[in-house]
Amino acid sequence: MRENTARKSVLVLGAGIAGIQASLDLAEMGITVHLVEDTPTIGGRMPQLDKTFPTNDCSMCILSPKMSECIRHPLIKLHIMSSLEGISGEPGDLKCRVIERAKYVDPSKCVSCGLCEEKCPVKLDDVFDVSLRKTKAISRYFLQSIPSEYTIKREHCLYLTKGVCRLCEKVCPTGAIDYEDKDREIELNVGAVILATGIDPFDPISIGQYHYHSSVNVVTALEFERMLSASGPLGGHVVRASDGREPSTLAFIQCVGSRDSGINRNYCSSACCMFAIKQSIIAREHMKELKASIFYMDIRAFGKDFDKYYDKAENKYGVRFTRARVADIIELTDGSLELKYTFENGSIQREAFDMVVLSTGLQPRPETRGLAESLDLKLNDYGFFRSKTFLPLETSRPGVFVCGAANGPKDIPESVVSASGAVAEAAKYLELDRQDPATQEDAPPEQQVTGERPRVGVFVCHCGINIAGVVDVKDVAAMAEGLQNVEHSEDVVYACSTDCLEVIKQRIEEHGLNRVVVAACTPRTHEPLFRETINEAGLNPYLFEMANIRDQCSWAHMEEPELATSKSKDLVEMAVAKSRGLHPLERLPISIDPEALVIGGGLSGMTAALDLADAGHQVYLVEKEDELGGNMRDILFNFDGSDPQEFLGKTIERVQSHKGIRVLTGANIREVNGYVGNFSTLVEDGESRTETLTHGAVIVATGGIEHRTSEYLYGETTRVVTQTEFERMLKDETFPAGRLRNVVMVQCVGSREGERMYCSRVCCSKAVKNALELRKRRAGANIYMACRDIRTYGFSEEYYTELRDGGALVFRYKPDRKPEVELMSPGDPDSRVRVSMIDPVLEKEVVIDADLLVLATAIDAPEDNSVLAKMLKVPLNSDGMFLEAHVKLRPVDFATEGIFVCGLAHSPKDMNESLAQSMAAAARALTFLQKKTILADGTIAEVRKDRCSGCAYCEAVCAYSAIEIDPEEKVAVVNDALCKGCGACVASCRCGALDLRGFSNRQIHAVIGALDIEAVEGVTAT
Amino acid sequence: MNSIVMKQDASTAIRELLAYLLSSSRVDAVLTMRQVPETGSCDLGLITDPSGMVEAEPFLPVMTANAGQALSSISMSGKRIAAVLKPCELRGFTERVKREQGSFDNLLTISSICGGVFPLEKVISGDLEKLVPRYIEKTARAEAPRGLRETCKACEEFVPMNADISVSVTEHGSLMHLHSDRAEEYTEGFEGERIEARADQSHIDRMMKSRSAAKGKLFQSLEKSSGLDGLVDLFGKCVGCHGCSRVCPICYCQHCDFESINFDYNQPYFQESLEARGALRLPPDTILFQLGRLTHMSFSCVGCGMCSDVCPVSIPVAGIFKKTGERTAGLFDYVPGRDSEEPIPVMVFKEEELGDIG
Amino acid sequence: MISDKHDDFTPRITSFLCKWCSYTGADLAGTNRLQYPTSIIPIQVMCSSRVDPVFLIKAFLSGSDGVLMGGCHPGDCHYETGNYHTRRRFAILKEIFDSLGLESDRLKLSWISASEGPKFAQVSNEYTEQIRKMGKNPTRKSVFL
Repeated sequence: MRENTARKSVLVLGAGIAGIQASLDLAEMGITVHLVEDTPTIGGRMPQLDKTFPTNDCSMCILSPKMSECIRHPLIKLHIMSSLEGISGEPGDLKCRVIERAKYVDPSKCVSCGLCEEKCPVKLDDVFDVSLRKTKAISRYFLQSIPSEYTIKREHCLYLTKGVCRLCEKVCPTGAIDYEDKDREIELNVGAVILATGIDPFDPISIGQYHYHSSVNVVTALEFERMLSASGPLGGHVVRASDGREPSTLAFIQCVGSRDSGINRNYCSSACCMFAIKQSIIAREHMKELKASIFYMDIRAFGKDFDKYYDKAENKYGVRFTRARVADIIELTDGSLELKYTFENGSIQREAFDMVVLSTGLQPRPETRGLAESLDLKLNDYGFFRSKTFLPLETSRPGVFVCGAANGPKDIPESVVSASGAVAEAAKYLELDRQDPATQEDAPPEQQVTGERPRVGVFVCHCGINIAGVVDVKDVAAMAEGLQNVEHSEDVVYACSTDCLEVIKQRIEEHGLNRVVVAACTPRTHEPLFRETINEAGLNPYLFEMANIRDQCSWAHMEEPELATSKSKDLVEMAVAKSRGLHPLERLPISIDPEALVIGGGLSGMTAALDLADAGHQVYLVEKEDELGGNMRDILFNFDGSDPQEFLGKTIERVQSHKGIRVLTGANIREVNGYVGNFSTLVEDGESRTETLTHGAVIVATGGIEHRTSEYLYGETTRVVTQTEFERMLKDETFPAGRLRNVVMVQCVGSREGERMYCSRVCCSKAVKNALELRKRRAGANIYMACRDIRTYGFSEEYYTELRDGGALVFRYKPDRKPEVELMSPGDPDSRVRVSMIDPVLEKEVVIDADLLVLATAIDAPEDNSVLAKMLKVPLNSDGMFLEAHVKLRPVDFATEGIFVCGLAHSPKDMNESLAQSMAAAARALTFLQKKTILADGTIAEVRKDRCSGCAYCEAVCAYSAIEIDPEEKVAVVNDALCKGCGACVASCRCGALDLRGFSNRQIHAVIGALDIEAVEGVTAT
Repeated sequence: MNSIVMKQDASTAIRELLAYLLSSSRVDAVLTMRQVPETGSCDLGLITDPSGMVEAEPFLPVMTANAGQALSSISMSGKRIAAVLKPCELRGFTERVKREQGSFDNLLTISSICGGVFPLEKVISGDLEKLVPRYIEKTARAEAPRGLRETCKACEEFVPMNADISVSVTEHGSLMHLHSDRAEEYTEGFEGERIEARADQSHIDRMMKSRSAAKGKLFQSLEKSSGLDGLVDLFGKCVGCHGCSRVCPICYCQHCDFESINFDYNQPYFQESLEARGALRLPPDTILFQLGRLTHMSFSCVGCGMCSDVCPVSIPVAGIFKKTGERTAGLFDYVPGRDSEEPIPVMVFKEEELGDIG
Repeated sequence: MISDKHDDFTPRITSFLCKWCSYTGADLAGTNRLQYPTSIIPIQVMCSSRVDPVFLIKAFLSGSDGVLMGGCHPGDCHYETGNYHTRRRFAILKEIFDSLGLESDRLKLSWISASEGPKFAQVSNEYTEQIRKMGKNPTRKSVFL
């Protein structure tokens, strides 16, 4: 019988961060991926970004390792400049018609030298740099494009359109130009399709009042981002287009093309507030005197650690936040822009700014509509792919999933989460086999270097101007040339670019290098890439060393170029010293137990458990309460009228009846031992019986708890309730006795202040949802909402509009002037309450006699998170929530392999977001569980028996029981699978019998010795 | 405490006890100092024949090697051994046991309130013979005999801490105190009056007084060579023989790491250093060696003084180690060799401690 | 003791930084463009507990004006308990320095988490300033080490 290859492959459309993540997860599960991308490069929007919020991580820096990993993965087949034209067949056996457009350059011949681009006479506006720079008809999409080969835009090529020119063909040194290249149609047979087609910024040209079209000093957020970018057209030096002067005042106008039903944008683009805050911070770092102002309706800093970032912008960087609508912009004669803006109370002010940034919203790409038609997919009212409640990653067509912003605005981590989540969903149509990398021998044969004299190659990276703007990289490379054992040294523009990686490989061959040192950014992000590269050139990957001359040098010493250059030399010298002592290391296989442990039986835990069990893995679902359901039990309505409890009931039933899931309720985790693939967990049930579970992965889904407040007279009268209690009241129609005329809602009770400097994210939507529900049931009730910012992000905005249009009154309060509440009949347990607050519009106090006061209380992290975190050896953030490995690109992983997080345990989020994240956690866990073995790191401890005295210091200090004294031989023995390579034992060893592979004592001595410390003058030899 | 009154002098009594243990097959061998009467030469000996006891000089005030170090491997041979150890040797041995370099399992330890020992040079010069009678007389009176090693004069840990049997000698007579069940068991049937008695505390107090005074003086004299210049002065004479670590009971490593290639001048940087500094010391790293050793074992230093005794260039190694060791051990209220169950400070930690350090 | 007090010299501070916390914190300081002196010369180690005190002594005796040891906060060690061992070893080393009259302020232990870029910059700035006031390490001068 023919093997069904369709069920072993997936087509991913769109190679932005979401598409890349989905492809990598699938490929790690052993699935062949066809990654289809319209542009000539992978990367999507992220390469256009300078920095990412809220950590100010450099976007390209965190993305490029993933891009490289993606293009290097043997199971990912990349189809650039390609489009998906149609799908036929059934899920599990889909036939996809793909057109690969002609590139006119033979990628196997192109060396990316750029001569063609230099000679090409056709100048075009550059798409990547949003028209701030010119490009040519033959070009690369951007400098760090992957793949790096050039392509021709046929609609602009003189030869292809008019039959004249052929200059590129003449200058091409390798004869790579092929004008005869043709479009090709191919058919791909796959089990499922994942759409990750991304998003466009709103084009403000149509909004006359902002004068984007007429004033050159009015720019969009994306244009400003390119201006800020060190690799952008202005090299990071922001100047006004009108006069080349650095702006000293800057205005950001929020919600341009968002929250505007007049232009069919009745949704919040979710990311623009944070984007503007980030840009104001970065701009301020570039220009110390800059005064930035942000004009906004609501600041929607609703994500994890976003409010802290907002606070930092306001209080540390002096960014001014003004709640006002900009009505008009007038260009002054000097090119400055006078903003006319209206405050909430109707007063008008005028103020001039040097530059204006329009925080443009996000909208579907124009191609989406056509794609939806050809693939027979439904769109929502705004033209995004339509997904339903409870099925956040599905499209209207079975077997076709959607991730990233294609079905609604998302920031990067949410896109990554949805990508992994879509993989878990797609997996249901796939045939998964457990992989065994230990038996796969596709690595090139390794050169034998043991016994050879070290021959070191040094590559000093410019990182564009990130390094070269401060450090004299040529000087550093020249110094390295003179070091003992250095056979070759050169400076390179981007060491991590695909073409430079090729250069490194070439040099290894040319010069017979057996050690490679790259002086560039941090090894934390880039070491794996370079190790893999030298491995491809036949060197053991551990014969590599990095010098961090960017993050810990050029960036930290921007004002001291000479000293930074000299420090770079030291760092390179130390790296070379260390590299001399490098030896080839072997990676040992670790077996992976296919079972999984899911901690927490709420919606998140159950969803993850189901996805894992559906993929064929035994799951232990441990819930400390006596029943499943968690916080979901308190969600009784949805905006769209769907029934959360029905869904929960079905989910619980599926979990309980699933053969692959063992539910342990009333159970607590007491102890967790082991490591990825080999965990053992001690679980205790309600009757103190214990059981040890063995499993290969852990998913933490411990949820959150509603904050118990003592504010606003909560607990003193039955008429002050939480939103959760109110929701129950609505469902059961158990309102307090008497009329229900005035209902006041207070938002941010416990959130965004004091010890909870975070937004609980769901409360605004929940309040709006409940208010709308109230209106359905008590049409006459007056609804008053006291809030700081209303944060109904995404498509929830519609419902907020609906609520306001229906006459609900919204009052803004400041945290230092909260609404005041008093009992109207003190002593009466059912006393109504009188609420006083300031009406910002009328600017005077309003007093409401409330029949019900509903408090939107914060979401707290459970206190026992800290106990579990200790057992799992994973960190919590300052709010007590589990802290993922990387807030942008590893949103459900922990630094410790094999442990994942989802749902409220990670941070507050709504039901659909929790669902997506749980699916993502399941998919990430599957990337391990779908392997029979993974390969351990080579950097572990080793014993020299002849030096060991068997004193057992090592045994005492090892936290992993990875080393012990052999009772027979009386010498230490390392358990290679358990050793984490921390080196605690090595430093404890008195005899020098222990050493750490890859970072030996000898190497450290050499590194210290290499530190070139000049003696003070007047040294005497006595 | 159950004690045995010794009718003869302490040496004779212990010799008899050791012979008794051998002849009654309670032990297979005895570790003790020996002296050959004809030549005066002395050493540590392992004696299996009761007739060999004639040469045993269990309390000879000289330390040719730290017996705790010597006992280390033979204690793990499975043979039952009775060992006569000076308090510091016993403590050194205890420290070694914590490092898996010895075992109390088949061991009967005998120690005594220690009057100190003479430097090895007195053995070489042949002066020992003359010094011993006066030594016995003086120690019995809790006075400090002349000519003792500086380390011993300043030793405050002269009372054995965890011996099975300890011997106390005063003007009023000698006692054998039985501290453990094993001591009771092994001495069963050995002749001698059993009384309830402890070592004479006033005798100990008098000894302690002069020891403490001497220690104060010793530490004060070391203060003079404080600081980097002082250290350079002190260790400037070092010839790098590493004798100090070889004789150290705590330095249990079979091969000293400081003698590994890691601590040689680092190619190719020594040339740069040479240019920068204009000169280089050979052999290298004498201060690194001593500072490094201090990190390895100062908290376990039992102050036996062997290192100073063997130093060919008379560096006061023992004083330095003792002075520093008291401070490093003091960080953790650790007393080296007090108790074999007390964990070595660098093997354990407390979550809440040393709050001011980071 | 000889010390050359030049307020303008750039000290050399050999800095052992654990990969998971303080090295990441140092990276973060750079990513945030927080400026600190070039005196800090980082050496990445997997865990602070990898650092044998002998390395610190060696760095000190080779002329480093300061030696900085960075680790995860107690309780946060990526390797569970490594930094507790580091703390004891470091306390012992400091005590040795003090007992010998060596300048123990030339040794510094600091807990810096992966998210504490600002703290890394602050520690670097303050420690550099402190060392600058102390002057060059006299070990630079001596050959009998």
